[in-house]
Amino acid sequence: MNMHAQPQRTLAETALIDAFGERLSQLPGDGAVMVKRDDAIEAIKHGLPTRRVESWHYTDLRRLLTSVPAFEAGAVVKALAPVLEGSAVLPVLNGISQTKLPEIEGVTVQRLSEKLTDGSVAPGLDPYGDDDAIGALNTAFVADGYFVDIADGTELEKPIELQNLQAGGQSHVRLLARVGAGAKAIVVERQAGERDEALVSSVSQLVVGDGAQVTWLIVQEQPETATHLAQFKAHIGKDAKLTLFVMNAGGRLVRQEVVVRTTGEGADFKLRGINLLAGDTHTDTTMVLDHAVPHTTSTEVIRNVVTGKARGVFQGRINVHQYAQKTNAKMACNTLLLSDDGEFSTKPELEIFADDVVCGHGATVTEIDHNHLFYLMARGIDEKSARGLLVKAFVAEVIEELEDEALVEALEERLDGWFSTHG
Amino acid sequence: MPAVQETIDRVRKIDVDQYKYGFQTEIEMDKAPKGLSEDIIRFISAKKDEPDWMLEWRLGAYRRWLTLEEPTWARVHFPKIDFQDIYYYAAPKSTPGPKSLSEVDPELLKVYEKLGIPLKEQEILAGVQKPTAADGEEIGDNVYKSGRVAVDAVFDSVSVVTTFKEELAKAGVIFCSISEAIREHPELVQKYLGSVVPTSDNFYATLNSAVFTDGSFVFVPKGVRCPMELSTYFRINEKNTGQFERTLIIAEEGAYVSYLEGCTAPQRDENQLHAAVVELVALDDAEIKYSTVQNWYPGDAEGKGGIYNFVTKRGDCRGDRSKISWTQVETGSAITWKYPSCILRGDDSSGEFYSIAVSNGYQQVDSGTKMIHLGKNTSSRIISKGIAAGFSQNTYRGQVSAHRKATNARNFTNCDSLLIGDQCGAHTVPYMEAKNATAKFEHEATTSKISEDQKFYVMQRGIPEEEAIALIVNGFVKDVIQQLPMEFAVEAQKLIGISLEGSVG
Repeated sequence: MNMHAQPQRTLAETALIDAFGERLSQLPGDGAVMVKRDDAIEAIKHGLPTRRVESWHYTDLRRLLTSVPAFEAGAVVKALAPVLEGSAVLPVLNGISQTKLPEIEGVTVQRLSEKLTDGSVAPGLDPYGDDDAIGALNTAFVADGYFVDIADGTELEKPIELQNLQAGGQSHVRLLARVGAGAKAIVVERQAGERDEALVSSVSQLVVGDGAQVTWLIVQEQPETATHLAQFKAHIGKDAKLTLFVMNAGGRLVRQEVVVRTTGEGADFKLRGINLLAGDTHTDTTMVLDHAVPHTTSTEVIRNVVTGKARGVFQGRINVHQYAQKTNAKMACNTLLLSDDGEFSTKPELEIFADDVVCGHGATVTEIDHNHLFYLMARGIDEKSARGLLVKAFVAEVIEELEDEALVEALEERLDGWFSTHG
Repeated sequence: MPAVQETIDRVRKIDVDQYKYGFQTEIEMDKAPKGLSEDIIRFISAKKDEPDWMLEWRLGAYRRWLTLEEPTWARVHFPKIDFQDIYYYAAPKSTPGPKSLSEVDPELLKVYEKLGIPLKEQEILAGVQKPTAADGEEIGDNVYKSGRVAVDAVFDSVSVVTTFKEELAKAGVIFCSISEAIREHPELVQKYLGSVVPTSDNFYATLNSAVFTDGSFVFVPKGVRCPMELSTYFRINEKNTGQFERTLIIAEEGAYVSYLEGCTAPQRDENQLHAAVVELVALDDAEIKYSTVQNWYPGDAEGKGGIYNFVTKRGDCRGDRSKISWTQVETGSAITWKYPSCILRGDDSSGEFYSIAVSNGYQQVDSGTKMIHLGKNTSSRIISKGIAAGFSQNTYRGQVSAHRKATNARNFTNCDSLLIGDQCGAHTVPYMEAKNATAKFEHEATTSKISEDQKFYVMQRGIPEEEAIALIVNGFVKDVIQQLPMEFAVEAQKLIGISLEGSVG
């Protein structure tokens, strides 16, 4: 199709292709999985996406991914205390799942390496489109992760926390979860690591069964030395509810994709996102939401705080399919730009093929409202504290919507943690 | 629901009869051979009696164009255009440079009469009667029927006549065809042509730079408020021709001008390309208001034929406190692909974009704007209303960006879409890029159908359904209609009615 010769490969591209050759013999998978891996590396051989690829317009991966670290087999990292007290922790350390796992009633946990070896996860390894570079990268290299199956009707008493922790080098992890019909669960996906150069790809795939209710929290606190390429994909069944909360508070180059599809009538999706951006970093949140059947609803609220030389991106596309009548979808993206060197780009998209729908989106980019600042300062609060209060209130609003008190408290604590180091 | 079924049936029935400007006129034409090459460009340049620098400019653009690839990012689909299968120059044969209307081919005058374009100054001055066609047929109400409006009529590749030139000249305003401007005012053209849309800008703009044949030129000197509305009327008549016009409007310090643009084409089964470039330059305290009623032939009920309207329109608020305002009513064309933009370079400058895009049948629209904030305290406002019916696809695509030094940049964007029928699509793709902490951008978009409640409210008061919907649609687009000059507003409202006729039920 492309008449032009491929431009010369970048160092990162070459490193990835070479690494694949070296790793191949150690990667788990049956024939079907290996075919998917080969297809995936072929896609990478065609080059990482540039800004000319529409969905990567603001995150030119080819230019931004300047180097790729080697795999470090020897690095040691320990599981962290969970965000929510009492959670059952399932850690993936340096890309490897654990054998000794907690027993959770109504839940079956399997190591993903086993499911790769027997090939049962092969069908889910396909990238979701030509421009799915994260999916391709992960499929090529994924070695481990978990498959968590929550049986029909199970109401989890304690949350499950999936931890993907790295101590430098590369790790490629996949976290699969099925929440059975009528089940209820809170799942935390923790993405963190130590201060070392790292390349992490993490793909989460969730199926929410009919009538199930899931709250899924992604807490990303990578060090400023890590490239974090993540994807969250979900299908939401009939009358099921999924609340996805994403907090990005770290990483040097971060892209978190959210790819969600409503598959049953009455499905409801909520996305709440907070991006806390500092330093010389690049953070991209890209959402593609398909309302594929009639009578489904969604709301998305994203709040961003940009400081330092940080660059932020939010892209959100809502597709309403032709037969998805009575869709109700609303999206808002609000940004506080706090520094002269910060940048934020946003592209909220609506693609609508059905006529009986109510869809809307709003986006704002502003600095702190001077009237608000004046109000507080007139009451004797110094400027720095007043600013801090306003910024915190701006993002905390999204957290408070989660309603679950323990959740709100735990997340506000993470928020305070970030403000104490970056305020 | 029977009402919905009825809607679909009516949409299906949409007939080519809806397009009332679809006639073709037999006029003896002077054409260059088909295809594109350096020779054709030399031919065009020679025909226009152009100076050497102009030819060099064109050739430079052509060489550049050869290296470019057609862009494919827009949400429009069409078969690949064969650029060698187009006539790049077609002009009505007439006495060289008609000095007055009496020397213009009477057939040609009839065309404009039929379109309702007043080319006879007295008639308009007297303002007594509506012009009637020579064959006695009543002319439909047209955009240009009233008021004192100076008209530049562009027929295929050339400007046929420009009215009120003398009166405008008294005020110091230059209003003529761009070909004439290249000959008579080369210093102005050389200074400003390509300064807003450079020859290297994009595929279609580069092509236009190489082969543009005519268009309008407006120069409003310092401190002058242009005494009347200026307008250009574009007509594609000849088969297989492409229309590549170039418009350049310059408002010097403190000047003001309001400019209207209208266009039609005959009904044909094949598609025709219209790739224009419009450049606006506003210096300190100047204001330019540019209004378009775009009514190119949209193709028939099966989506056969129609104009490809691939246009680059850009305004440069070069001076401090300058203002450029785009207003467009888009009802025609098989495919519309354009983004009238403002570069807010001067401090305190402002840009506006008001748009109504109505699509029906198999029309595809990918339109919107760009507001590039470069200067301090710049502001912009975007109001876009898209109405999709039939099998059409209607996309708003717009970019708002604030650069590092654009302190206190302000933008407000509102784009609403209305869907009529379940076979059409409405899409919103806004890009917002803030690189300055003091920037304040707001964007809101909604998509919905006419609510049963609204309809019930109106119908309950004894208004029939079709009228009720027309009323609601007109309310929906009111914000934009209000921005149009009087001469246009009434007609635009009617045009929207025509475009949607048969699609509301």
